[in-house]
Amino acid sequence: MPRLLVTLLLLVPAASLAQQRQYIDVGSPDFHPLPVAIAPFQSDPDARLASSEASLTLGDDLVLSGIFEVVDPKSFLADPGEGLTAPSIRFARWADVGAEGLVKAQVKKAGTLVSGELHLFEVRAAKEVLFRVYKGARSPRVLAHQMADDVVQYYTREPGVFRTRIAAIRKVRGTRELVLFAVDGKDPEVVDREPGIAVLPVWRPDGSEILFTSYRSGRPELWALELASRRVRPVLDQGELSTGGTFSPDGKRIAFTSSEDGNSDIWVANADGTNARRLTRDPATDTSPTWSPDGRRIAFVSNRSGNPHIYVMNADGSNQRRLTFQGNYNQTPRWSPRGDLIAFTARDERKVFDVFTVSPETGKIGRVTQDQGLTNEEPSWAPNGRLLVFTSDRNGLPQLVVSTPTGDRQKVVTGDAAELCTPAWGPLPQ
Amino acid sequence: MVDAATGPLFLRRERLWPVVLASAAAHAAILAWGALHRPPPIVDLEQKPIVAKLVRLGEKRPEAFLPRKEEAPPPAAPATVPIPGPAAKPPTPAARSAPAPTRPDPLASAMNRIRREQALSAPPRYGDPSGSPEGEASDAEEGDRYLALATQALKANYRLPSTLSEKDRMFLKATVVLSIEPDGHISGFRFEQRSGNAAFDDALERAVRQTRLPPPPPEMRERYRSVGLGVHFHM
Repeated sequence: MPRLLVTLLLLVPAASLAQQRQYIDVGSPDFHPLPVAIAPFQSDPDARLASSEASLTLGDDLVLSGIFEVVDPKSFLADPGEGLTAPSIRFARWADVGAEGLVKAQVKKAGTLVSGELHLFEVRAAKEVLFRVYKGARSPRVLAHQMADDVVQYYTREPGVFRTRIAAIRKVRGTRELVLFAVDGKDPEVVDREPGIAVLPVWRPDGSEILFTSYRSGRPELWALELASRRVRPVLDQGELSTGGTFSPDGKRIAFTSSEDGNSDIWVANADGTNARRLTRDPATDTSPTWSPDGRRIAFVSNRSGNPHIYVMNADGSNQRRLTFQGNYNQTPRWSPRGDLIAFTARDERKVFDVFTVSPETGKIGRVTQDQGLTNEEPSWAPNGRLLVFTSDRNGLPQLVVSTPTGDRQKVVTGDAAELCTPAWGPLPQ
Repeated sequence: MVDAATGPLFLRRERLWPVVLASAAAHAAILAWGALHRPPPIVDLEQKPIVAKLVRLGEKRPEAFLPRKEEAPPPAAPATVPIPGPAAKPPTPAARSAPAPTRPDPLASAMNRIRREQALSAPPRYGDPSGSPEGEASDAEEGDRYLALATQALKANYRLPSTLSEKDRMFLKATVVLSIEPDGHISGFRFEQRSGNAAFDDALERAVRQTRLPPPPPEMRERYRSVGLGVHFHM
């Protein structure tokens, strides 16, 4: 009994102190890239060039991801005595140069193919956390993209996007080319040449086709390019014009803009173009539909309030509501694969076009670009929702820019001789 | 005639002395009690601190305008793929560019030039008509100064690795109790509640270790040293 009394007497002041403690809230952290060191890759003499290219590509990918920074190789001297296993590595030295992650790799060539292995270490824990073996990569760059995806996957538990492709329209005199770029803007591949105007490519969710708007017949219609065969086929020519088609997340439907009697509205059809039906019936112009990732809602642009703004409705056309109230020319919405943001282009009070994001739930708008050229437009999301691609004229001709959704890390990834427009980020490899 | 020394007024004064003495004693007692007895400052523990900011002096940004970032944007990185073709020669005064295949529309050129000049001119900086010329924010509220400074100092070091997954970012939170010396030095800290995510908790430790706080106000020094200041870290 006396012990209990003493304990209680001791607890009372402690509880009283805890009650008197003041608390403050600290939120909205800054996210900083994780510093990763890439040790010089090991290789046979005949694979030196391949090894060097893979190492450079891996570093560029990690920086482009927006979540890593690569420790400057000039800041450390690689110890040739270090191997690829944890016991042989002096982690204190890597910690001294600020590395929290350490990548070591080996590259080998077998004919035209490249193989290799990746070792990822956490420096503070002084242990290997990831080991991968790769065989039969077509090039050192492909090998490096696979490595980058695995590093991203390890740290974020989300898939990397470096083996995806970005489709864009290249404006060449008199024609339009549909070009596929690697995420880092390299390896351009022309997959279709259109005799006239072609715009707004979008990917089928399985990556097998690209749907786009073509003027082949003299008016805008939806056409599809099958990537395996490079065959182009008509999909939809509803009403006076059909444009801006976009696949539902399950790939079974297409939402698009169609005009009848001079009034453009949002329509939806089966993926093969059949069973087209109208979703909006407003006398104003409704255009640019984009699906929510669960396929249950569609965002679109309408000028029913006087100026173009972003609206949201259910996928059956019900419950239409205005989402943006700032700006006076908001267009090209693209719903994030995460569902939490819609990226769009808007003209600000200085008549400059910039990329913004808006929360479909709260309507809160965030700014991605600012004072970076006169026109930043047509955003498209990476399939993991961590990056955006859009075009920007900040360096002259509009080129592709890869950016984080906050805009804090941006990189112009192409330096093409022609203007690029309406990029579309492709899906993850199947 | 009545003698002034023995008049009724004099007599009345003599009778007042005990009253005056008693009153003086009572006043002295009250003053002494007031000087010796200082009740503790009343702190409203339910009150949440509000971050104080200096509002920039200026015109209010119209609500219908799209938001602007307060910080300067990052410089654009150079293109990684060079445009093919021979390197451009430096211009010479006598050099003349090749004629364009088509003559540009002079009106369109003039409009484009005006548009570019307008766009590239310094953007207006918005604030509040009652703000300060030294203000840095476009809007703010009043609040507890010390706690606002502490919040600001901690937030300056509240940096998380970008590798944290989006799913984790939605739920991560932890509470740390700081022991603050009278000179503002953080002499110790402990987790009252960990997040369970090692990368997040490590980042909080780094943030606390890097933070330098100003000296607390005198009336709070003992409390912050012995009881501590709790910090809820969240997203």
